[in-house]
Parts: sequence; C-alpha cells; structure tokens
Amino acid sequence: MIRFEQVGKRYPNGHVGLHELSFRARRGEFLFVTGHSGAGKSTLLRLLLALERPTSGKLLLADQDIGSISNSEIPFLRRQIGVVFQNHHLLFDRSVFDNVALPLQILGLPREEIEQRVSEALERVSLKDMGEQFPSDLSSGQQQRVGIARAVVHQPALLLADEPTGNLDPRLAAEIMGVFEDINRLGTTVLIASHDLALIARMRHRLLTLQRGRLIGDGEPT
Amino acid sequence: MSSRQQLPRGAEEGAPEQRQRRLQEAESTDWGGLLRAYLDSHRASLVDSLRRLARQPFGSFLTCLVMGIALSLPMGLSLLLDGVERLGGSWQRAAQISVFVKLDVAEVEGQALREQIAGMPEVLNAEWIGREQGLEQLQQYSGLGDALKELPDNPLPAVVLVTPREIDKAALEGLRERLAGLPGVDLAQLDLQWVERLGAILKLGDRFVFGLAVTLVLALLLVVGNTIRLHIENRRAEIEVIKLVGGTDGYVRRPFLYAGAFYGIGAGLLAWGLLEYGLNWLNQSVVGLAALYDSDFALGGVPLDDALSLLAGALLLGWVGAWLAVARHLRQLEPQ
Repeated sequence: MIRFEQVGKRYPNGHVGLHELSFRARRGEFLFVTGHSGAGKSTLLRLLLALERPTSGKLLLADQDIGSISNSEIPFLRRQIGVVFQNHHLLFDRSVFDNVALPLQILGLPREEIEQRVSEALERVSLKDMGEQFPSDLSSGQQQRVGIARAVVHQPALLLADEPTGNLDPRLAAEIMGVFEDINRLGTTVLIASHDLALIARMRHRLLTLQRGRLIGDGEPT
Repeated sequence: MSSRQQLPRGAEEGAPEQRQRRLQEAESTDWGGLLRAYLDSHRASLVDSLRRLARQPFGSFLTCLVMGIALSLPMGLSLLLDGVERLGGSWQRAAQISVFVKLDVAEVEGQALREQIAGMPEVLNAEWIGREQGLEQLQQYSGLGDALKELPDNPLPAVVLVTPREIDKAALEGLRERLAGLPGVDLAQLDLQWVERLGAILKLGDRFVFGLAVTLVLALLLVVGNTIRLHIENRRAEIEVIKLVGGTDGYVRRPFLYAGAFYGIGAGLLAWGLLEYGLNWLNQSVVGLAALYDSDFALGGVPLDDALSLLAGALLLGWVGAWLAVARHLRQLEPQ
C-alpha cells in the first residue's frame, strides 16, 4: 500500500524534512508515526498527500509513484485517501451533512447514493441525527467525528490522521481511536501521526518513530 | 462500513485485477445515473453561486452596475452613430445637382431644357426655378431682402434642380458632366462635400467607439477578475479542503465561472435598461430638433438582436473574466 524507499525531502532553505526514509505498510495495516516536533511526521503526511514531492528516493502509494505523478493526477490520487486533521478543517457555512457529503459530490455520485453513504458514515461516528446541524453547534469531539466521517465516507484505501486527538480529553481520544480501529477492521490502511505515547502504547499497533527526519524505530510500542 | 461498492479512480489493485475490475465496471456503468449526477453537480454549483451573490445584494448590484455602465457606453455611442448614419443616408439620397442656365436663355428654352433633363434615365426629377422665383427665395431666406431690392437687375440665373436616381458618387459625377455639356447650361454643380465630411466624421466615430469598446472590455475583465479574486479569497479555506479531498481544478473553478456569468448577465440586463432609458430620454430632444428641419427623424430603441448580442457578450465577458482570475489564483491555493 505504502512504500518509502530511501525517501528524502530537502527544502529550498536547506532544511531536511526527511532523510533516506524507508518502510512499507501493507494494505489494511494500522500504524502510528511519532516523534518530537520537527521530527518529520507532518512532512511524511504531506508527501503521502502529494502536497509535496520527495527530493530523493521513491515513494509509492497504491503503486503510483508520487515523485513523478502529474499535477492533473493528484486529485485522483487524493480520492483514495481520507484525511483527519487536528483542527478538523470543517466548512462552517455548511451543515454536517454537506461537510460529510463533500468527497462524494466531488466523485460525482448520484444524490440517493450520497444520502445513503453520508447517513452510514454519520452513524459510524455516532452522529446519525446531527446531519442538519452546523459545525459551530457541535462540541470539539463531535466536530472531530464529523471530520472522521468526511474522511471515510468515500471508503478510501488509506486513512491519514494528523494528531487527531490533540485537542480531546482522554475519554474522547479513546473513543475516536475506537472509530479508527473500526474503520481499519473494514480493510482501510490507517496511518496516524501522534505524539501521545500513552495512547499509542494502549493501542498496540505498529509504531514508526522519527527523529530529525530519520526513522529510529519500527515495531510495536513497548 | 459496507463493502467497497465503488472505489475512486486509481484505487490500489494489481494490474490484471484492475483491468478486470474496470471491464466489469464498464459493463455495469449506469451512464444515465452518471449524467444525472454530473448535471446535479452543475446545478448545485449554479445554485450555490446564485445564493452567494444574493447574500450580498448591494455589493453584487454595484458590481453589475459598474459593468453595465461600462457596457452601455460603447453600445450607446454605436447606436447614436447608427442613427446619424441613417440620417446622413437619407440626406445623401436627397443629393441634388443644381444646373445653372445661361442668363441669355429664354424661359421657354429653359423649360425645354428641364424637360430634356427630366427625360434622362438617370434623373428621378427635374424642377424649374425661374430667375424671379430664385430671387424671391433668396430675399426670403437670406435676410438680405431690402439690400436685394436695391439691385437694378436680377443677377440670378434660372436653375434646374435635378434629383438623380443613383446615389453612387461616380455615377453622380458622370451625370453632372453630361448636364454641364448641354446647350444653354452655364454650370452644373454637385455638392456632396458635406456628405463626404459627414462620412469621414462617422468613420472617425466608429473608430472611437471601437477603441472605447476594446478599452472598456479590458476594464470589465479587470472588474470581474478582481471581484472573483475577492470571492476566491473569501473561500480560501473551502478551496483548500476541496483540493485535499480530491477536487480537481475544474471542480474548484466551476462555481466561480457561474458567478462570473451571473455578473455578466446582470450587467447586460442593466446595460440594456440604461440604454433604453437613455435613448428614450435623448429622443425627446432629437425629435424636437428634427421637427425644426421638417424631418420626422427619431432615435430608435435598442434593437432586439443588438440587445441579445449585448447579453451574450456580457455573459461571455463575465465568464472569461472569472476564468482568468481563477486560473491565476488557483495555483496559489494549494492546501497547506
């Protein structure tokens, strides 16, 4: 599913985001990426989303080489990915339903199918009856769940999450992680960038540890 | 989650499996459903654009008004020039050749000359103005009545006023030469200089209108472009999210193109209204002035085909302006 082969990312100002990073993730795998601020977690996610290109090495996502993919192919690559952000990135002038429906509208699915899939996605994150509400009416935890529903509504092959529990209390964080595990059980590869080591330790999934752009650990958390 | 019913394009699969799946998908594709979804998507963009414009009615109206005024200026001038050209044309059709008869030609011989001229195929009409009649008219219209009465003899020759059938300048010149060569004719005068001058002025006016139109079209593109740029800035966050979840540039561009087209249609309608009102208002004075010259000339309104061209052009301008603005700013709106 994901293949990093000696991937490097050097910015024009000389800063090295990633240094010869190599790892693979199978389809349906659940993995965490951790590290201090500046370790390269965000760079890794940005590369997977084709927001940036590697400056060396080879990065394959679903057999597509992100280093050489054309700009016009990028939107179609991103349609295979769901993204969850720490600050949700919801559209506050649209209802919960419309926020979640956005990826499906972009895919050009028929209205009936959109309604059905959005309803299923909201049910999965326990927000079934909140489709008509607006994000500003919801708590931070509920907003995060709307973000998750939007990320999975188009049934992506890969789900990326950047500090998805950063603003949540431990109970809500565990709840959100439970949602990710449910999604993973259905075959979606899940990659979460987080520095919450306690939470990661409880989940007992594969953990990649980055330090200054280098991979210094790959295995189950101890 | 239900099993994957429809993976987005490019989902991970081995090449043979992928080919097989594509074949299966192609066989089972609901083209009607896809077309409906495509039209639904366009309708949603259209309604969304309209709703956003309606949310700021005053600002949207002002933008349309600025564009409408800019559109109405060259169109209005062009319509006025058309009117003057029509008027000039009718005067040109009334172009006449004055045939001055020698002073020693008697009235009877002069009338015979008039009949000879009237019988020419190129001549529509030939009117006799005797020496006395000419003097009377001169006294009446020149304001020199008393001075002319003091003259010992009538110095004016008799004139045959010839109205030609042809209005072509070369044909008129040929006719004038033939008339000048007739026995008893002193001079045949064709005065088309003023018509030529009017033509030159109209040509200059046409060029001015063209230059003005080009300048204002550029200004309109800038107005639309700037307005759409502000729309884009206001929706920056939304555009970034759309791009993150796989929206293509075309998908992002669509609502802005509709907004530009709506601005164009609004501007076109306002320009049409302004022109109708302005021409009607001006026409009252034009009719009064024309009546003083025994003319029933009047400015027409905006012809329907011109009005429809105006609307189509305005819509196109709005759309192109929006397209240029989005194309310029879209690259700067990559998600961060």
